[in-house]
Amino acid sequence: MEEEPIIHSDNEEKMIPQNQEQQLTKRERKLLKKQQKLENLALKQKKQSQKRGLLWFFVSLLIVASVLGISWLSKYETNQGSLPLIDSISIDDHTKGLANAKNVLVEYSDFQCPACKQYNTLLKRASDEFGDKTQIVYRHFPLKSIHKNADLAARASEAASVQGKFWEMHDMLFDNQESWSTEGNPRNTFNIYAERMGIDIEQFKKDIDSNEVKDRVNKDYVSGINIGIAGTPTFFLNGKQINTPRSYDELRDILQ
Amino acid sequence: MTNSETSSNNIKKWAVITMSVISFLGFLDATYLATEHFLGRIPKCSIIEGCGAVTTSQYATIGSIPIALLGSFFYLSIFILTIIYLDTKKESYIILASRIPIAGFFTSLYLVYLQIFILKAICLYCMGSAICSTLLFLLGIYIIKNNGNKILKIK
Repeated sequence: MEEEPIIHSDNEEKMIPQNQEQQLTKRERKLLKKQQKLENLALKQKKQSQKRGLLWFFVSLLIVASVLGISWLSKYETNQGSLPLIDSISIDDHTKGLANAKNVLVEYSDFQCPACKQYNTLLKRASDEFGDKTQIVYRHFPLKSIHKNADLAARASEAASVQGKFWEMHDMLFDNQESWSTEGNPRNTFNIYAERMGIDIEQFKKDIDSNEVKDRVNKDYVSGINIGIAGTPTFFLNGKQINTPRSYDELRDILQ
Repeated sequence: MTNSETSSNNIKKWAVITMSVISFLGFLDATYLATEHFLGRIPKCSIIEGCGAVTTSQYATIGSIPIALLGSFFYLSIFILTIIYLDTKKESYIILASRIPIAGFFTSLYLVYLQIFILKAICLYCMGSAICSTLLFLLGIYIIKNNGNKILKIK
């Protein structure tokens, strides 16, 4: 307690002897120095805590802004441009729905693409709901570089198409995508699917390797390349590319 | 703050800052993937990318929790630990930040194995995350090695 700063009145000072006064002054000076030191330390600590507060404010801001920014970007991301459909619908195309429908939805798709499988479910619902005013067109765009069985699957659907079973094979391929996608050679699996559909299997086996079938798949693929599409599924509504709908509600809004 | 806890000069500031930047990039990447998952968006297939094959596979979630979300927390924890270290200079934080990526690295190795050998599809964002966790692992090892026994003794 002795070292605590003491404030003396003038009267008190007068009563203190000379040597004690010197001693007190010295002590006072020492105390003053100490007090100043404490004050400096407190100031330094205050500055440090302000600096720390600012740092964490910015770090928190950075994290929150990043999360919000990413959510916003994901929500409003548009993943394609507005490419025009070059090849108009021909008799050759695989179509579903009314021929002269108000809406013509062309899909470039790949049987081995998981996203296309998910969209197939949405398109089926759309076909049921808007079949009277929407025509759905399927075009092949097998991504051969990443899906090794995609081309053969497209040919299997075309071979089935020769016997009038394109859409049956189309659904079968999407429904069982997981099982044949990982096979080294899914020919036998496709043969089994064809047999289940009542397809003449010998004819199917011939057709899957025929030039006509290969050319038919290639025709769609080349048309997709000419348009400039780079992924599947890619949709065109009445000749214009549309953003891939993210849910059935979005697809419904587009087709209404 | 004890002397044993305060930073020695052996911990290179550039390594900590690099760790902080990489963990933040990893956080952005993983958060993007987690957001896509929660928004229920179907990723498109493109010529260069294995698209939804990876992000919609059975390996993309543990129960109902997407791995991307776990990755997001993983990177965020390293980021926060490096910032705390830069702020307080307490070694215990950087030690923890250097050790966490060891688990992250082996998890990434397994996920890359799944992509290449099981799913046979590559997801670019997932590969980006694998690169981030590998770099964090290397930086963590560098920090631990540079501080040798001293770091290992601190509890």
